[in-house]
Amino acid sequence: MTATLTAPGALRADDGRLVLEVAGVVDEVPGTRTLVLRRPGGGLLPAHPPGSHVVLDCGDRRNAYSLTGDGSPCEEYRVSVLLCPDGEGGSAFVHRLAVGDIVSASRPRSAFAPVSTARHHLLVAGGIGITPMLSHARAAVRWRRSFELLYRHRPGAGAHLDELRGLCGDRLTAYTSTPEMLAAVRAALADRPLGTHVYVCGPTPLIGFVEETAAELGWPGERVHAERFSADLDAGEPFTAVLARSGSRVPVPSGTSLLTALEQAGVAVPNLCRQGVCGECRVPVRSGRPLHRDLYLSETERAAGDAVMCCVSRSVDDELELDL
Amino acid sequence: MGAEHTSVPRWGSEWPAPDPSARTVLLVGFGARGCAITAAWAADVPAGRPVEVLAADDADESVLAVLTARIAGARVGWRLMLAGPEDDVLAARAVALRAGVLDAEIRCAVTSTDRKRVYCPHCRATTTTTAPVAGETPCEGCARRLHVYAHVSRRAGAYLGFMADAEEVA
Repeated sequence: MTATLTAPGALRADDGRLVLEVAGVVDEVPGTRTLVLRRPGGGLLPAHPPGSHVVLDCGDRRNAYSLTGDGSPCEEYRVSVLLCPDGEGGSAFVHRLAVGDIVSASRPRSAFAPVSTARHHLLVAGGIGITPMLSHARAAVRWRRSFELLYRHRPGAGAHLDELRGLCGDRLTAYTSTPEMLAAVRAALADRPLGTHVYVCGPTPLIGFVEETAAELGWPGERVHAERFSADLDAGEPFTAVLARSGSRVPVPSGTSLLTALEQAGVAVPNLCRQGVCGECRVPVRSGRPLHRDLYLSETERAAGDAVMCCVSRSVDDELELDL
Repeated sequence: MGAEHTSVPRWGSEWPAPDPSARTVLLVGFGARGCAITAAWAADVPAGRPVEVLAADDADESVLAVLTARIAGARVGWRLMLAGPEDDVLAARAVALRAGVLDAEIRCAVTSTDRKRVYCPHCRATTTTTAPVAGETPCEGCARRLHVYAHVSRRAGAYLGFMADAEEVA
Protein backbone atom coordinates (compact mmCIF):
# COMPACT_ATOMS: atom_id res chain seq x y z
CA MET A 1 0.00 0.00 0.00
CA THR A 2 1.21 3.51 -0.75
CA ALA A 3 -1.02 6.23 0.61
CA THR A 4 0.10 9.78 -0.04
CA LEU A 5 -0.47 12.46 2.56
CA THR A 6 -0.81 16.14 2.01
CA ALA A 7 -0.30 18.45 4.98
CA PRO A 8 2.36 17.39 7.45
CA GLY A 9 2.25 20.73 9.26
CA ALA A 10 -0.47 20.00 11.80
CA LEU A 11 0.49 16.65 13.23
CA ARG A 12 -0.01 15.60 16.79
CA ALA A 13 2.81 14.99 19.21
CA ASP A 14 5.01 12.27 17.82
CA ASP A 15 5.24 10.11 20.91
CA GLY A 16 6.46 6.66 20.16
CA ARG A 17 7.64 7.27 16.63
CA LEU A 18 10.45 5.04 15.56
CA VAL A 19 13.84 6.36 14.57
CA LEU A 20 15.23 3.99 11.97
CA GLU A 21 18.43 3.70 10.02
CA VAL A 22 18.52 2.62 6.40
CA ALA A 23 20.54 -0.57 6.72
CA GLY A 24 20.14 -1.74 3.16
CA VAL A 25 18.81 -0.66 -0.21
CA VAL A 26 17.79 -3.29 -2.73
CA ASP A 27 16.53 -2.53 -6.20
CA GLU A 28 14.05 -5.37 -6.69
CA VAL A 29 13.12 -4.60 -10.28
CA PRO A 30 13.46 -1.36 -12.25
CA GLY A 31 11.48 1.33 -10.43
CA THR A 32 10.88 -0.58 -7.21
CA ARG A 33 13.28 -0.11 -4.32
CA THR A 34 13.28 -2.02 -1.05
CA LEU A 35 14.52 -0.36 2.12
CA VAL A 36 15.84 -2.41 5.02
CA LEU A 37 15.24 -0.39 8.20
CA ARG A 38 16.76 -1.10 11.62
CA ARG A 39 17.15 0.68 14.93
CA PRO A 40 20.45 2.62 14.77
CA GLY A 41 21.84 0.61 17.71
CA GLY A 42 20.13 -2.61 16.69
CA GLY A 43 17.46 -4.35 18.77
CA LEU A 44 13.98 -5.69 18.27
CA LEU A 45 11.30 -3.67 16.54
CA PRO A 46 7.59 -3.94 17.45
CA ALA A 47 5.80 -7.01 16.13
CA HIS A 48 2.69 -6.43 14.03
CA PRO A 49 -0.19 -8.29 12.38
CA PRO A 50 0.45 -9.28 8.74
CA GLY A 51 -0.65 -6.58 6.29
CA SER A 52 0.40 -3.69 8.56
CA HIS A 53 2.02 -0.47 7.38
CA VAL A 54 4.22 2.26 8.80
CA VAL A 55 3.80 5.94 8.04
CA LEU A 56 7.22 7.16 6.93
CA ASP A 57 8.40 10.78 7.01
CA CYS A 58 9.34 11.53 3.41
CA GLY A 59 10.75 15.04 3.48
CA ASP A 60 7.78 17.41 3.59
CA ARG A 61 5.15 14.67 3.51
CA ARG A 62 4.25 11.37 5.08
CA ASN A 63 3.53 8.18 3.17
CA ALA A 64 2.18 4.84 4.35
CA TYR A 65 4.14 1.79 3.22
CA SER A 66 3.29 -1.84 3.87
CA LEU A 67 5.73 -3.91 5.89
CA THR A 68 6.58 -7.04 3.94
CA GLY A 69 7.70 -9.22 6.86
CA ASP A 70 5.45 -11.78 8.55
CA GLY A 71 5.08 -9.55 11.59
CA SER A 72 6.81 -11.63 14.25
CA PRO A 73 9.35 -9.72 16.36
CA CYS A 74 12.53 -9.05 14.40
CA GLU A 75 15.32 -6.50 14.09
CA GLU A 76 14.43 -5.14 10.69
CA TYR A 77 11.49 -3.87 8.72
CA ARG A 78 11.34 -3.94 4.94
CA VAL A 79 9.24 -1.74 2.70
CA SER A 80 9.16 -1.79 -1.09
CA VAL A 81 8.44 1.49 -2.82
CA LEU A 82 7.48 2.00 -6.46
CA LEU A 83 8.90 5.23 -7.87
CA CYS A 84 6.04 7.42 -9.09
CA PRO A 85 7.68 10.14 -11.22
CA ASP A 86 4.37 12.03 -11.43
CA GLY A 87 3.57 11.62 -7.74
CA GLU A 88 3.82 14.11 -4.91
CA GLY A 89 7.47 13.39 -4.19
CA GLY A 90 7.25 10.83 -1.40
CA SER A 91 8.43 7.88 -3.46
CA ALA A 92 11.20 10.01 -5.01
CA PHE A 93 12.38 10.85 -1.48
CA VAL A 94 12.52 7.16 -0.62
CA HIS A 95 14.44 6.42 -3.82
CA ARG A 96 17.06 9.03 -2.85
CA LEU A 97 17.75 7.42 0.53
CA ALA A 98 21.12 5.69 1.01
CA VAL A 99 22.52 3.26 3.54
CA GLY A 100 23.18 5.07 6.81
CA ASP A 101 20.40 7.67 6.40
CA ILE A 102 18.08 8.11 9.38
CA VAL A 103 14.31 8.21 8.89
CA SER A 104 11.33 8.61 11.21
CA ALA A 105 8.38 6.25 11.03
CA SER A 106 5.21 5.53 12.95
CA ARG A 107 4.84 2.30 14.82
CA PRO A 108 3.21 -0.40 12.68
CA ARG A 109 -0.48 0.21 12.06
CA SER A 110 -2.81 -2.67 11.22
CA ALA A 111 -5.71 -2.08 8.84
CA PHE A 112 -5.49 -5.16 6.60
CA ALA A 113 -4.96 -8.16 8.84
CA PRO A 114 -5.85 -11.75 7.91
CA VAL A 115 -9.04 -13.08 9.51
CA SER A 116 -7.93 -15.63 12.07
CA THR A 117 -11.00 -17.84 11.64
CA ALA A 118 -10.72 -18.09 7.85
CA ARG A 119 -10.58 -21.61 6.42
CA HIS A 120 -8.69 -20.44 3.34
CA HIS A 121 -7.09 -17.14 2.28
CA LEU A 122 -7.37 -15.99 -1.35
CA LEU A 123 -4.77 -13.25 -1.94
CA VAL A 124 -5.07 -11.03 -5.02
CA ALA A 125 -2.31 -8.52 -5.84
CA GLY A 126 -1.79 -6.09 -8.69
CA GLY A 127 1.61 -4.43 -9.21
CA ILE A 128 3.14 -2.87 -6.08
CA GLY A 129 0.00 -4.04 -4.27
CA ILE A 130 2.03 -7.20 -3.75
CA THR A 131 3.67 -5.70 -0.64
CA PRO A 132 0.99 -6.42 1.98
CA MET A 133 0.35 -9.78 0.26
CA LEU A 134 3.99 -10.74 0.73
CA SER A 135 3.45 -10.16 4.45
CA HIS A 136 0.24 -12.23 4.40
CA ALA A 137 1.91 -15.04 2.43
CA ARG A 138 4.89 -15.19 4.79
CA ALA A 139 2.61 -15.36 7.83
CA ALA A 140 0.40 -17.98 6.15
CA VAL A 141 3.44 -20.16 5.45
CA ARG A 142 4.77 -19.67 8.97
CA TRP A 143 1.45 -20.56 10.59
CA ARG A 144 0.53 -23.21 8.00
CA ARG A 145 -2.62 -21.44 6.91
CA SER A 146 -4.28 -22.49 3.69
CA PHE A 147 -3.77 -19.78 1.06
CA GLU A 148 -3.20 -19.01 -2.59
CA LEU A 149 -1.85 -15.89 -4.28
CA LEU A 150 -2.81 -14.46 -7.67
CA TYR A 151 -0.33 -11.80 -8.76
CA ARG A 152 -0.54 -9.56 -11.83
CA HIS A 153 2.73 -7.79 -12.68
CA ARG A 154 4.29 -6.11 -15.68
CA PRO A 155 6.51 -8.35 -17.83
CA GLY A 156 9.98 -8.42 -16.33
CA ALA A 157 8.96 -6.16 -13.42
CA GLY A 158 7.43 -8.51 -10.89
CA ALA A 159 8.59 -7.19 -7.53
CA HIS A 160 9.49 -10.02 -5.13
CA LEU A 161 8.57 -12.60 -7.77
CA ASP A 162 11.50 -14.99 -7.19
CA GLU A 163 11.09 -14.69 -3.45
CA LEU A 164 7.36 -15.44 -3.75
CA ARG A 165 7.98 -18.47 -5.96
CA GLY A 166 10.28 -19.92 -3.32
CA LEU A 167 7.88 -19.05 -0.52
CA CYS A 168 4.59 -20.09 -2.10
CA GLY A 169 5.49 -22.80 -4.60
CA ASP A 170 2.43 -23.79 -6.57
CA ARG A 171 0.22 -21.63 -4.38
CA LEU A 172 1.44 -18.65 -6.44
CA THR A 173 0.09 -17.97 -9.91
CA ALA A 174 1.63 -14.96 -11.64
CA TYR A 175 0.15 -13.19 -14.66
CA THR A 176 1.46 -10.56 -17.03
CA SER A 177 -1.86 -10.35 -18.89
CA THR A 178 -4.72 -8.49 -17.25
CA PRO A 179 -7.52 -10.49 -18.97
CA GLU A 180 -5.92 -13.77 -17.86
CA MET A 181 -5.54 -12.44 -14.33
CA LEU A 182 -9.16 -11.29 -14.15
CA ALA A 183 -10.38 -14.63 -15.54
CA ALA A 184 -8.37 -16.45 -12.87
CA VAL A 185 -9.75 -14.18 -10.15
CA ARG A 186 -13.30 -14.81 -11.35
CA ALA A 187 -12.72 -18.57 -11.46
CA ALA A 188 -11.36 -18.52 -7.93
CA LEU A 189 -14.24 -16.44 -6.60
CA ALA A 190 -16.70 -18.81 -8.28
CA ASP A 191 -15.55 -21.89 -6.39
CA ARG A 192 -13.85 -21.67 -3.03
CA PRO A 193 -14.72 -23.40 0.26
CA LEU A 194 -17.15 -21.64 2.58
CA GLY A 195 -14.93 -19.96 5.14
CA THR A 196 -12.60 -18.45 2.53
CA HIS A 197 -11.72 -14.77 2.81
CA VAL A 198 -10.42 -12.79 -0.17
CA TYR A 199 -7.87 -9.96 0.17
CA VAL A 200 -7.02 -7.57 -2.64
CA CYS A 201 -4.44 -4.82 -2.97
CA GLY A 202 -3.58 -3.04 -6.20
CA PRO A 203 -4.89 -0.51 -8.68
CA THR A 204 -8.44 0.77 -8.17
CA PRO A 205 -9.89 -1.14 -11.19
CA LEU A 206 -8.57 -4.46 -9.84
CA ILE A 207 -10.09 -3.79 -6.42
CA GLY A 208 -13.36 -2.82 -8.07
CA PHE A 209 -13.35 -6.01 -10.15
CA VAL A 210 -12.79 -8.20 -7.11
CA GLU A 211 -15.48 -6.44 -5.06
CA GLU A 212 -18.06 -6.51 -7.85
CA THR A 213 -17.36 -10.08 -8.93
CA ALA A 214 -17.39 -11.32 -5.34
CA ALA A 215 -20.74 -9.66 -4.69
CA GLU A 216 -22.16 -11.10 -7.92
CA LEU A 217 -21.03 -14.58 -6.89
CA GLY A 218 -22.66 -14.37 -3.48
CA TRP A 219 -19.71 -13.36 -1.28
CA PRO A 220 -20.88 -11.36 1.73
CA GLY A 221 -18.90 -8.11 2.14
CA GLU A 222 -17.46 -9.49 5.39
CA ARG A 223 -15.41 -12.01 3.38
CA VAL A 224 -13.92 -9.36 1.07
CA HIS A 225 -11.00 -7.20 2.24
CA ALA A 226 -9.38 -4.44 0.18
CA GLU A 227 -6.33 -2.29 0.80
CA ARG A 228 -6.47 0.85 -1.31
CA PHE A 229 -3.58 3.13 -2.17
CA SER A 230 -5.74 6.13 -1.34
CA ALA A 231 -9.26 7.47 -1.57
CA ASP A 232 -10.14 9.21 -4.82
CA LEU A 233 -12.38 12.13 -4.02
CA ASP A 234 -14.11 15.16 -5.48
CA ALA A 235 -14.24 18.57 -3.81
CA GLY A 236 -17.66 17.96 -2.24
CA GLU A 237 -20.57 20.25 -1.36
CA PRO A 238 -20.14 23.03 1.23
CA PHE A 239 -21.68 22.53 4.68
CA THR A 240 -21.39 23.86 8.22
CA ALA A 241 -19.87 22.00 11.14
CA VAL A 242 -21.58 22.86 14.42
CA LEU A 243 -19.35 22.26 17.44
CA ALA A 244 -21.71 21.18 20.19
CA ARG A 245 -19.43 21.88 23.15
CA SER A 246 -18.22 25.34 22.17
CA GLY A 247 -21.35 26.27 20.26
CA SER A 248 -19.25 27.62 17.41
CA ARG A 249 -20.03 27.15 13.74
CA VAL A 250 -17.31 26.27 11.25
CA PRO A 251 -18.10 26.68 7.55
CA VAL A 252 -16.59 23.96 5.35
CA PRO A 253 -16.36 25.21 1.76
CA SER A 254 -16.22 22.96 -1.27
CA GLY A 255 -12.64 21.85 -1.81
CA THR A 256 -11.70 22.19 1.88
CA SER A 257 -11.76 19.15 4.12
CA LEU A 258 -13.63 19.17 7.43
CA LEU A 259 -10.29 18.47 9.12
CA THR A 260 -8.63 21.49 7.50
CA ALA A 261 -11.61 23.71 8.35
CA LEU A 262 -11.47 22.58 11.98
CA GLU A 263 -7.75 23.22 12.16
CA GLN A 264 -8.15 26.69 10.66
CA ALA A 265 -10.80 27.37 13.33
CA GLY A 266 -8.25 26.44 16.00
CA VAL A 267 -9.66 23.00 16.82
CA ALA A 268 -6.91 20.41 17.15
CA VAL A 269 -7.93 16.97 15.88
CA PRO A 270 -5.47 14.07 16.03
CA ASN A 271 -4.70 12.96 12.51
CA LEU A 272 -2.12 11.10 10.54
CA CYS A 273 -2.78 10.08 6.96
CA ARG A 274 -5.33 12.74 5.94
CA GLN A 275 -6.44 10.30 3.25
CA GLY A 276 -9.27 8.41 4.95
CA VAL A 277 -7.10 5.38 5.52
CA CYS A 278 -5.62 5.39 9.00
CA GLY A 279 -8.58 6.00 11.33
CA GLU A 280 -6.79 8.58 13.47
CA CYS A 281 -9.07 11.59 12.87
CA ARG A 282 -12.37 10.00 13.92
CA VAL A 283 -14.74 12.62 15.34
CA PRO A 284 -18.03 11.84 17.16
CA VAL A 285 -21.20 13.06 15.45
CA ARG A 286 -24.25 14.20 17.45
CA SER A 287 -26.66 14.99 14.65
CA GLY A 288 -26.77 15.35 10.90
CA ARG A 289 -25.96 12.62 8.40
CA PRO A 290 -22.27 12.12 7.63
CA LEU A 291 -21.26 11.61 3.99
CA HIS A 292 -18.73 8.85 4.53
CA ARG A 293 -15.89 8.86 2.01
CA ASP A 294 -13.19 7.16 4.06
CA LEU A 295 -11.82 3.66 3.68
CA TYR A 296 -11.64 3.01 7.41
CA LEU A 297 -15.11 2.69 8.97
CA SER A 298 -16.99 -0.60 8.58
CA GLU A 299 -20.42 -0.73 6.99
CA THR A 300 -21.97 -1.06 10.45
CA GLU A 301 -20.07 1.95 11.75
CA ARG A 302 -21.08 3.97 8.70
CA ALA A 303 -24.71 3.05 9.16
CA ALA A 304 -24.60 4.07 12.83
CA GLY A 305 -23.75 7.59 11.67
CA ASP A 306 -22.27 8.56 15.05
CA ALA A 307 -18.71 9.15 13.89
CA VAL A 308 -16.98 10.65 10.90
CA MET A 309 -13.42 10.52 9.58
CA CYS A 310 -13.04 14.26 9.19
CA CYS A 311 -10.05 14.23 6.81
CA VAL A 312 -12.12 13.10 3.82
CA SER A 313 -15.76 12.70 4.85
CA ARG A 314 -18.33 15.45 4.66
CA SER A 315 -22.03 15.98 5.40
CA VAL A 316 -25.19 14.97 3.58
CA ASP A 317 -27.13 17.63 5.47
CA ASP A 318 -26.35 21.35 5.48
CA GLU A 319 -25.21 21.04 9.08
CA LEU A 320 -23.23 18.37 10.87
CA GLU A 321 -23.17 18.63 14.65
CA LEU A 322 -19.93 17.30 16.14
CA ASP A 323 -19.22 16.40 19.76
CA LEU A 324 -16.28 18.82 19.93
CA MET B 1 -27.45 -5.28 33.11
CA GLY B 2 -30.00 -3.15 31.29
CA ALA B 3 -32.26 -4.67 28.66
CA GLU B 4 -30.68 -2.52 25.95
CA HIS B 5 -27.34 -4.23 26.53
CA THR B 6 -28.48 -7.82 26.72
CA SER B 7 -27.15 -10.47 24.36
CA VAL B 8 -30.58 -12.14 24.27
CA PRO B 9 -31.50 -12.10 20.57
CA ARG B 10 -34.35 -9.92 19.38
CA TRP B 11 -35.70 -11.81 16.41
CA GLY B 12 -38.08 -9.24 15.02
CA SER B 13 -41.74 -9.76 14.29
CA GLU B 14 -41.35 -10.59 10.58
CA TRP B 15 -39.62 -13.56 9.02
CA PRO B 16 -36.58 -12.65 6.92
CA ALA B 17 -36.67 -13.38 3.17
CA PRO B 18 -34.06 -15.44 1.29
CA ASP B 19 -30.90 -13.47 0.46
CA PRO B 20 -31.14 -12.58 -3.25
CA SER B 21 -27.34 -12.85 -3.56
CA ALA B 22 -27.32 -16.49 -2.41
CA ARG B 23 -26.02 -19.04 -4.92
CA THR B 24 -27.07 -22.14 -2.97
CA VAL B 25 -29.31 -22.36 0.07
CA LEU B 26 -29.84 -24.84 2.88
CA LEU B 27 -33.15 -24.49 4.71
CA VAL B 28 -33.64 -26.23 8.04
CA GLY B 29 -37.09 -26.32 9.64
CA PHE B 30 -37.77 -27.48 13.20
CA GLY B 31 -41.29 -28.65 14.05
CA ALA B 32 -44.43 -28.11 11.99
CA ARG B 33 -44.34 -24.31 12.16
CA GLY B 34 -40.67 -24.17 11.25
CA CYS B 35 -41.20 -26.52 8.31
CA ALA B 36 -44.08 -24.36 7.05
CA ILE B 37 -41.70 -21.40 6.97
CA THR B 38 -38.96 -23.31 5.14
CA ALA B 39 -41.54 -24.41 2.55
CA ALA B 40 -42.44 -20.74 1.95
CA TRP B 41 -38.75 -19.82 1.75
CA ALA B 42 -38.09 -22.60 -0.77
CA ALA B 43 -40.69 -21.03 -3.06
CA ASP B 44 -39.07 -17.58 -2.66
CA VAL B 45 -35.50 -18.56 -3.55
CA PRO B 46 -34.76 -17.19 -7.04
CA ALA B 47 -34.99 -19.79 -9.80
CA GLY B 48 -31.83 -21.61 -10.73
CA ARG B 49 -30.33 -21.55 -7.23
CA PRO B 50 -30.01 -25.02 -5.72
CA VAL B 51 -32.04 -25.37 -2.52
CA GLU B 52 -31.95 -28.20 0.01
CA VAL B 53 -34.66 -28.44 2.65
CA LEU B 54 -34.16 -30.38 5.88
CA ALA B 55 -37.10 -31.05 8.18
CA ALA B 56 -36.59 -32.11 11.79
CA ASP B 57 -38.52 -32.37 15.04
CA ASP B 58 -35.75 -30.63 16.93
CA ALA B 59 -32.04 -29.83 16.74
CA ASP B 60 -30.82 -33.25 17.82
CA GLU B 61 -27.37 -34.63 17.19
CA SER B 62 -28.26 -36.29 13.90
CA VAL B 63 -29.59 -33.05 12.38
CA LEU B 64 -26.60 -31.10 13.65
CA ALA B 65 -24.28 -33.75 12.17
CA VAL B 66 -25.95 -33.33 8.76
CA LEU B 67 -25.62 -29.55 9.10
CA THR B 68 -21.92 -29.89 9.95
CA ALA B 69 -21.38 -32.10 6.90
CA ARG B 70 -23.19 -29.65 4.60
CA ILE B 71 -21.08 -26.75 5.90
CA ALA B 72 -17.89 -28.74 5.34
CA GLY B 73 -18.84 -29.27 1.70
CA ALA B 74 -20.23 -25.78 1.04
CA ARG B 75 -18.63 -23.17 -1.23
CA VAL B 76 -18.70 -19.40 -0.72
CA GLY B 77 -22.11 -18.13 -1.84
CA TRP B 78 -23.91 -20.71 0.31
CA ARG B 79 -26.56 -19.47 2.75
CA LEU B 80 -28.23 -21.07 5.75
CA MET B 81 -31.81 -20.33 6.82
CA LEU B 82 -33.19 -21.69 10.09
CA ALA B 83 -36.83 -21.73 11.22
CA GLY B 84 -38.38 -23.05 14.41
CA PRO B 85 -38.33 -22.65 18.19
CA GLU B 86 -35.51 -20.48 19.57
CA ASP B 87 -33.66 -23.29 21.33
CA ASP B 88 -33.38 -25.33 18.12
CA VAL B 89 -32.46 -22.32 16.01
CA LEU B 90 -29.79 -21.22 18.49
CA ALA B 91 -28.31 -24.72 18.68
CA ALA B 92 -28.09 -24.98 14.89
CA ARG B 93 -26.77 -21.44 14.53
CA ALA B 94 -24.06 -22.19 17.10
CA VAL B 95 -22.89 -25.17 15.04
CA ALA B 96 -22.73 -22.97 11.94
CA LEU B 97 -20.93 -20.09 13.65
CA ARG B 98 -18.38 -22.44 15.17
CA ALA B 99 -17.73 -23.83 11.69
CA GLY B 100 -16.89 -20.34 10.38
CA VAL B 101 -20.23 -19.38 8.81
CA LEU B 102 -20.76 -15.62 9.15
CA ASP B 103 -23.82 -13.87 10.55
CA ALA B 104 -24.28 -12.39 7.08
CA GLU B 105 -24.75 -15.95 5.75
CA ILE B 106 -27.40 -17.02 8.27
CA ARG B 107 -31.04 -15.92 8.50
CA CYS B 108 -33.36 -17.11 11.25
CA ALA B 109 -37.11 -17.21 11.85
CA VAL B 110 -38.01 -17.98 15.45
CA THR B 111 -41.52 -19.29 16.04
CA SER B 112 -41.41 -19.44 19.84
CA THR B 113 -39.10 -18.42 22.67
CA ASP B 114 -40.80 -20.49 25.39
CA ARG B 115 -38.17 -23.20 25.56
CA LYS B 116 -34.60 -22.32 26.50
CA ARG B 117 -31.32 -24.17 26.71
CA VAL B 118 -29.46 -23.07 29.84
CA TYR B 119 -25.75 -23.72 30.23
CA CYS B 120 -24.49 -24.48 33.74
CA PRO B 121 -20.91 -23.20 34.23
CA HIS B 122 -20.62 -25.22 37.46
CA CYS B 123 -20.96 -28.66 35.84
CA ARG B 124 -21.04 -27.67 32.13
CA ALA B 125 -24.31 -29.47 31.45
CA THR B 126 -27.00 -27.84 29.32
CA THR B 127 -30.60 -28.00 30.58
CA THR B 128 -33.74 -27.42 28.56
CA THR B 129 -36.35 -25.42 30.46
CA THR B 130 -39.41 -23.24 30.00
CA ALA B 131 -38.34 -20.87 32.78
CA PRO B 132 -38.25 -17.18 31.75
CA VAL B 133 -35.16 -14.97 31.78
CA ALA B 134 -34.43 -14.07 35.44
CA GLY B 135 -36.38 -17.20 36.46
CA GLU B 136 -34.91 -20.38 37.92
CA THR B 137 -34.49 -23.95 36.77
CA PRO B 138 -32.84 -27.00 38.35
CA CYS B 139 -29.68 -28.09 36.50
CA GLU B 140 -30.05 -31.53 34.93
CA GLY B 141 -26.33 -32.12 35.47
CA CYS B 142 -25.70 -31.13 39.09
CA ALA B 143 -29.19 -30.30 40.46
CA ARG B 144 -28.10 -26.80 41.51
CA ARG B 145 -30.84 -24.18 41.29
CA LEU B 146 -29.82 -22.08 38.27
CA HIS B 147 -30.73 -18.44 37.76
CA VAL B 148 -31.46 -17.97 34.01
CA TYR B 149 -29.35 -14.94 33.17
CA ALA B 150 -30.07 -12.47 30.33
CA HIS B 151 -27.06 -13.61 28.35
CA VAL B 152 -27.01 -15.88 25.31
CA SER B 153 -23.77 -17.39 24.10
CA ARG B 154 -23.55 -17.36 20.33
CA ARG B 155 -20.92 -20.08 20.45
CA ALA B 156 -22.88 -22.39 22.74
CA GLY B 157 -26.31 -21.36 21.52
CA ALA B 158 -27.55 -21.33 25.11
CA TYR B 159 -28.50 -18.98 27.93
CA LEU B 160 -26.06 -18.65 30.79
CA GLY B 161 -27.22 -20.00 34.13
CA PHE B 162 -25.57 -19.66 37.49
CA MET B 163 -26.18 -20.93 41.01
CA ALA B 164 -29.14 -18.93 42.27
CA ASP B 165 -28.20 -18.85 45.95
CA ALA B 166 -24.42 -18.74 45.56
CA GLU B 167 -24.01 -15.77 47.88
CA GLU B 168 -26.35 -16.95 50.64
CA VAL B 169 -24.93 -18.37 53.83
CA ALA B 170 -25.61 -22.07 53.89
